[in-house]
Amino acid sequence: MSLAATEARAAAPLPRLDWPFLIASVLAAAVLIALVLIDGQPAAAALIGLGFALGVVFLKAEFSFTASWRRLIVRGQADGFLGGLLLIAIAAAAIVPVARLVPGFGGAIAPLGPSLLIGAFVFGIGMQLANGCGSGTLYTVGGGSGRMIVTLAFFIAGSVIGSLHLPAFLRLGGVDPILAADYLGPWGGLAVTWASLAVAAFAAIAIARRRGASFVPSRRIVIGAVLIGLLSIGVFAAGHHPWSVTFGFTVWGAKLAALAGFDFSAAEFWQWPGPKRALGDSILSDTSSLTDLGMIFGAMATAAATAPFARNPWPPLKSLAAAAIGGLLMGWGARLGFGCNIGAFVGGIASGSLNGWVWFAAALPGCLIGIRLRPLFGLSRE
Amino acid sequence: MRLVYALVFLLGVTAVLADHLTSPSSGRPMSPEDFAGACAPCGAPCPSTQKK
Repeated sequence: MSLAATEARAAAPLPRLDWPFLIASVLAAAVLIALVLIDGQPAAAALIGLGFALGVVFLKAEFSFTASWRRLIVRGQADGFLGGLLLIAIAAAAIVPVARLVPGFGGAIAPLGPSLLIGAFVFGIGMQLANGCGSGTLYTVGGGSGRMIVTLAFFIAGSVIGSLHLPAFLRLGGVDPILAADYLGPWGGLAVTWASLAVAAFAAIAIARRRGASFVPSRRIVIGAVLIGLLSIGVFAAGHHPWSVTFGFTVWGAKLAALAGFDFSAAEFWQWPGPKRALGDSILSDTSSLTDLGMIFGAMATAAATAPFARNPWPPLKSLAAAAIGGLLMGWGARLGFGCNIGAFVGGIASGSLNGWVWFAAALPGCLIGIRLRPLFGLSRE
Repeated sequence: MRLVYALVFLLGVTAVLADHLTSPSSGRPMSPEDFAGACAPCGAPCPSTQKK
């Protein structure tokens, strides 16, 4: 081979399509769908497919709660935050009335108390250190980020630890969930939910205007919000409850811990009917695990279809430490706070449940602290 | 990173398959909220029932 030919080969760009990872991700999703269909679970197949589509949309739209909240806090920029509110408004249009009117369907509710406040606050710190929330962790792991694999591992560990602590925090007290539809009916509940979103949107726009920052969402944000909102409705239709992410992580971690010999029979959380069944049954019987897995594979397929996959070098150790600490805090916080940006914030508000707004009010100051801590780990405040 | 990623992916998929093939699966996918008394997405009970 001539020197010129060798040099030409060395200088040739990497192929845009990363076939091995593209095939692996599509094949993995197809195998899981086939397995649940063999078990006669078309709804489970739909949840994997919807998760896959969510992974595609999140990655293509680069939809991020963590970065948009950070931009709102640091610069007053409200475009991404408004995109999140649009997503919730779309999901609420189906969730509030259907959860109230159709038997077998229910909203994402949660009790209000110290556990919710502490959990959401700690989650807010963690999401800024990790640079991704529940959905963000899933689609960036799927997108080929090695750093976020570290976050996911610690997210899982933290959520298992949180599951062991949650009963004690619940004993600190609290009140039952407060749902708008319980007081105002399905359509009044929807109107109040949309009104609360409008108030939040006007407040965000006022902040942006005062600080001279942008607030008009880009086409990419609007399309992403609309598609994710519609897919959230699809997840609700298939799973009978709003989309949630972090309970799946808790189940994965508990199953691994049980495999390593940890005995959960004395753990109160794992004696409650839902968690007990989830721990004993197949992962593919748990709604949040199904969408989580689909989302990872969807993001992976999208990333591998557009660029060489997972070719970036590992980040510095400080950044990996932030990923680990952030993941641990998010996992613990998500269990105490009854979910993450998806299960508690999006799902809660889209259900007309007050816990969504309380979660937001507690997570935001946590984000502020997380943003202040970021430079310690070599991460920018913006 | 690519090799580590590939290994983690293979281990993860293998673990999911092994778990599914060795565990019972219910008739339809379920959430902890499907169970009576659940007051949160994780299946936690309501404060009012805890006091009883």
